[in-house]
Amino acid sequence: METTGDSWIGARVLRKEDERHLLGAGQFVGDVRMPGLRDIAFVRSPMAHAKLKGVTKPEGHEASVFTYEDLGPMKVLRTSPDMPTFHSAHYPALATDRVRFAGQPIAMCLASNRARAEDIADLVQVDLEELPAVVDVVDAMKPGTIKLHEDWPDNAYIHNTIDAGDMEAVAKIAAIKVKRRFKMNRQPSVSLECHAVLAYWDFRTGQLVVYFSTQGPHVMRIGIAEALGLQEYQVRVIAPDVGGGFGGKNRLMPEELAVAALAYKLKTPVRWLEDRREHLIASPHARDHYYELTAYADKDGMLLGVDGDVYVDAGAYPMWPTAAFMETSMSARNLPGPYQARNLRARTFTVATNKAPMGPYRGVGRPGACFAIERLMDEIAHELGIEPVELRRRNLVSSFPYETIGGMKLDTGDYHASLNAAADLIDLPAIRARQAKGELDGRRIGLGFAMYTEQSGHGTGEWVKRRGRIIPGYETATTRMGADGTVELLVGIQSHGQGMETTFAQIAAHELGLDPSKINVRHGDTSISPFGFGTFGSRSIVMGGGAAARSSRTLGEKLKKIGAHLLQCAAEETHLKDGQVHGPNGSVSIAEVARAANVRPDLLPQGIDPVLDVTMTYEPKESAGVFSYSTHGALIAVDPDTGAVELLDYVVAEDCGTMINPLVCDGQVQGGVAQGIGTALYEEIPFDDQGQPLATTFADYLMPGSMEIPNIRLAHIVTPALATEYGVKGMGEGGAIAPPAAIANALTDAFKDIRASFDETPLTPRRVIRALDAAKARVQTGEKP
Amino acid sequence: MITVTLTVNGQEETHSIEARETLADFLRERCNLTGTHLGCEHGACGACTVTINGLPARSCLTLAVMCEDRAVQTVEGTRGDPEMDLIRKHFHEAHGLQCGYCTPGMLLAARDILRRHKAPGEATIRKELSGHLCRCTGYVGIVEAIRRAGAELSDKS
Ligand code: FES
Ligand code: FES
Repeated sequence: METTGDSWIGARVLRKEDERHLLGAGQFVGDVRMPGLRDIAFVRSPMAHAKLKGVTKPEGHEASVFTYEDLGPMKVLRTSPDMPTFHSAHYPALATDRVRFAGQPIAMCLASNRARAEDIADLVQVDLEELPAVVDVVDAMKPGTIKLHEDWPDNAYIHNTIDAGDMEAVAKIAAIKVKRRFKMNRQPSVSLECHAVLAYWDFRTGQLVVYFSTQGPHVMRIGIAEALGLQEYQVRVIAPDVGGGFGGKNRLMPEELAVAALAYKLKTPVRWLEDRREHLIASPHARDHYYELTAYADKDGMLLGVDGDVYVDAGAYPMWPTAAFMETSMSARNLPGPYQARNLRARTFTVATNKAPMGPYRGVGRPGACFAIERLMDEIAHELGIEPVELRRRNLVSSFPYETIGGMKLDTGDYHASLNAAADLIDLPAIRARQAKGELDGRRIGLGFAMYTEQSGHGTGEWVKRRGRIIPGYETATTRMGADGTVELLVGIQSHGQGMETTFAQIAAHELGLDPSKINVRHGDTSISPFGFGTFGSRSIVMGGGAAARSSRTLGEKLKKIGAHLLQCAAEETHLKDGQVHGPNGSVSIAEVARAANVRPDLLPQGIDPVLDVTMTYEPKESAGVFSYSTHGALIAVDPDTGAVELLDYVVAEDCGTMINPLVCDGQVQGGVAQGIGTALYEEIPFDDQGQPLATTFADYLMPGSMEIPNIRLAHIVTPALATEYGVKGMGEGGAIAPPAAIANALTDAFKDIRASFDETPLTPRRVIRALDAAKARVQTGEKP
Repeated sequence: MITVTLTVNGQEETHSIEARETLADFLRERCNLTGTHLGCEHGACGACTVTINGLPARSCLTLAVMCEDRAVQTVEGTRGDPEMDLIRKHFHEAHGLQCGYCTPGMLLAARDILRRHKAPGEATIRKELSGHLCRCTGYVGIVEAIRRAGAELSDKS
C-alpha cells in the first residue's frame, strides 16, 4: 500500500470492503436466511387523499392480513422539532382513518413468498371515500384549500421569515435587479438496494432482532423500542451491508415499523423487501423546492442581497426522527452561497401536500439553494455582460473566518483558488474560442459554473438551535486490542459505500503505529458498537473519525505506558511506529504489550489496569461546523431543435480539508456529481392533478447511466479545518449540490444571445424547448428577461 | 407446481416451483446464491445479470422454467476464475465499487464486454455498460476498471 511519509492519513489505501462484494459475498438484508421466514406485501392506497372507511380481509386469508388494529397498541413517536410553531401529525405504521398520498400503506399481507403475499394483497378490499387532493405547493397555502391535517391552521408544517440586513434600502439603490422563479422537482433517493427489513424474535436473548437497511441502527432502535413499548435492550438492530442510502435510509418508514411490530406479535421471522415501484412512490421523497426570488446587485456586479419566498413541498406526513422542517431553513440560510452579500430576506414555507413524505437526500436543502443563487449570479453577469467567473471573483468571501448573512460561519478555505482551478481545468479560454467559432453540427456549446459551501460536522450547539428532539452532536468509538495486538474498532456510524471500514482503520493505524490490515472496523449493529447517530449530513469522518482518533490515541497512551515499563524508560520517551513501542534504547512489539495487558497482568506496571479497551466520544471544538466547498464546471452541447443536452465535460475543484483517503474522496465526489446530474437532467416523479405519481418504474423514471455521465475530472485544494482532528471536513454530500446549477448555467450560457433562462429541473428536452420558446417570444415583443 | 432442473455453477439444482418464479428468485431463494442482486425487477438496472449458456441475461426477466437443462452461472460461480479475478483486481484498484450492490452485475457485464471487445476504450465501455445502473460511483471507477482489465488481458493474449 502507498503511504505519504510515515502516516496513514492521506494514503490512497485500497478498500477493505471490496473483497466480499467482488466475490458476490456481501450480505444485504435480502441475503439473510432464516428458517420459516415469510414475506410481506403491503396493500397501498390507490388514491392520493381519501377517508379510509374499512378494510375487508379476503375469505380464507383473514389470518394473513393485518391492519393497524391487528398490530397491537403502538405508541405515537413525536417527530416534530421542539417548537410550538411547528405542526406535526402522526404517520401511522398502517393507515387508520385517512390516507394522504397514493401509495400509503393500509394493510400488510403475509405468505411463504412475496408473490403469494401479493396475491393476497390483490384480494384485500379497501373502502375509500375520495377527497380533493392538494398537489401544488403554492396552491396548498391558498385560503380555502382543503387541509390535510384538520387540526392545523393551514397546510404549512411551519412558516418562517429570515430578515437580515435592510432589504428595503437595498431595493432602492440597487442598479441591477433580477427576478426569477426556480423549481427543482421531486425525486426519491434511489439507492440501488431498495429499503429492506427482516425481523424475528430471538427467544435466547429475549430480543426483537431487526435486520434493517438503515444509515443509523442505534437511532432506529430507539424509535422501534419506543413505538412497540419495549425496553431498549429488547431490540437489536443490525444494519448489515447497505446498498446505498443517500439520506433516504435515515428515517423510520411506517412499513419498517409495521414489520418490526408484526415480528414481535407473531414471534416468527418476517421480512419486507421494498420493490422499485414502492421505492419510487412511497419511500422518502426529496427536493421539490420552489423559489420566487429577487437578487440585487450594484453596477459592478457586487451582490447586495437576495429577497423572496422559499417553498418546500414536504409531502403528507413528518417522518421520524426528524421531519423535513430543516429543509427550508437550510435552503434559505444557504441562499447567500459563498458570497459577501449583506442582506437576506426570505419567507419560507414547509408545506404538506398529498404526496409521499419528504426525507433527506444528499445535499438536503442545498442543491435547491445553490441552484437559486448560482442561477441568479449568472443572470447578474449576463445583465452586465461580464464573464460569470469574473462576477464570482468579485463577490467571493476571501478572508476567514467569515459569517455569511445567512449565519453560516465559514471556517477556512481559498474560494478563489477553487474557482480558478475549475476554470483552468475545463479551459475557459479555449471554450470561449470554440463558442466564437460555432459548431459544425448546429448544436450550441455552453459552459456553466456553480459554487457552494457544505456545512459538516456541526455539533450540539448548532443542532440545539434547530430544535431537533434528537441532537446528533457527537459520535462514539471503541478501540479494543486483543492479546495478539490486533484491533477491533467499533463505531456508532454506519458505512454503506463510503469506505469507512478502510478510512477509520487508517485513523486507528495512524494513532497506534499499526498497519491498517491489523485493524477491523465494525459498525452497524447495536449489540456490537457503542451508541452513535449514524451516517448522514457529511458528519461521519468529522464526528466518527474524531471519536476513532481519540479512543485510539488514548489506547496508544496506555500501550506506551506498558511498553515503557517493559523497556525500563519513561512513557514520554516512547512512540508508536511500525507495530512497535520504541524507547530510547530499544523497542518492544505492540503484540507483546497487548499480550501483557490482556493475559499477563503479572507483567503490568503498578497502577495500570489490565485490558486494552477504550471508548470515547468526540465533538469538534467548534459546533458551527466546518465547511467544504467546491466549484463545479459543466460543458454541454445542446441541440436547439430538440432540446437534447449532452455533457461534454465536467470538472470539480474541491476542498474538503485534509483527506484521510483521496481514493475514497474522489469516489464520493464523482458519485455525488452523478446524482446531481440526475437531478439536473433526468430524474423526476411528476404528479397529475389528482396526486397520482406518474413515474413508477425505471422506464418512466430516468436514471443516469454510463452514457449520460461523463468522466468527472477533479482538482483538489487542501485547506485543513482548524476545529477537527487532522483538519478533516465532511464532504459526502457535496458532489450532488452543484450540478443542477452548473448545468442550467451552461444552458443559459449557450443561449445568452436571446437571454433564455433555464430555471426548472430536470431540464428535459421539453423544458429546454419551452425555455427557448419563451425567450424567442420575449425577443419578439422586446420584453426584458 | 413444476419440477425443473437447472445446472447452476456446474451443479444440478432440482426444485419444484411455480411457473411464474423468476430465475433470480430461484437462484436467491432456492439455491441461496444471494450474490445475484435485484435492483428493479423489471430489466432496467442490470444488477441481476447472470449468464445462461455463457451469455449474459437478466435473471429478473427470465423465468426459471425457461432455463430447464441450461447452464446458469452467477457471480459466485466465477470465484477463482483467472479472467474474473483479473477483472476483480481492477475493480478493486480503480475504486469501481462503493456499496457493492451493483457489483456482481457489473462484473459479469465487464467480462462480456471484454470478450467481445479487445482492449476497449472509454467510449466503447460506456456504450456497452449503458444497461447497468450504479447509484454510487458515477461510473468513473467502473469504466476505468474495465479499461485497465481490457488492456491487461490484451497484453497477455
Ligand atoms: S433487477 Fe433485473 S434488471 Fe434490475
Ligand atoms: S456501488 Fe452502489 S450501486 Fe454501484
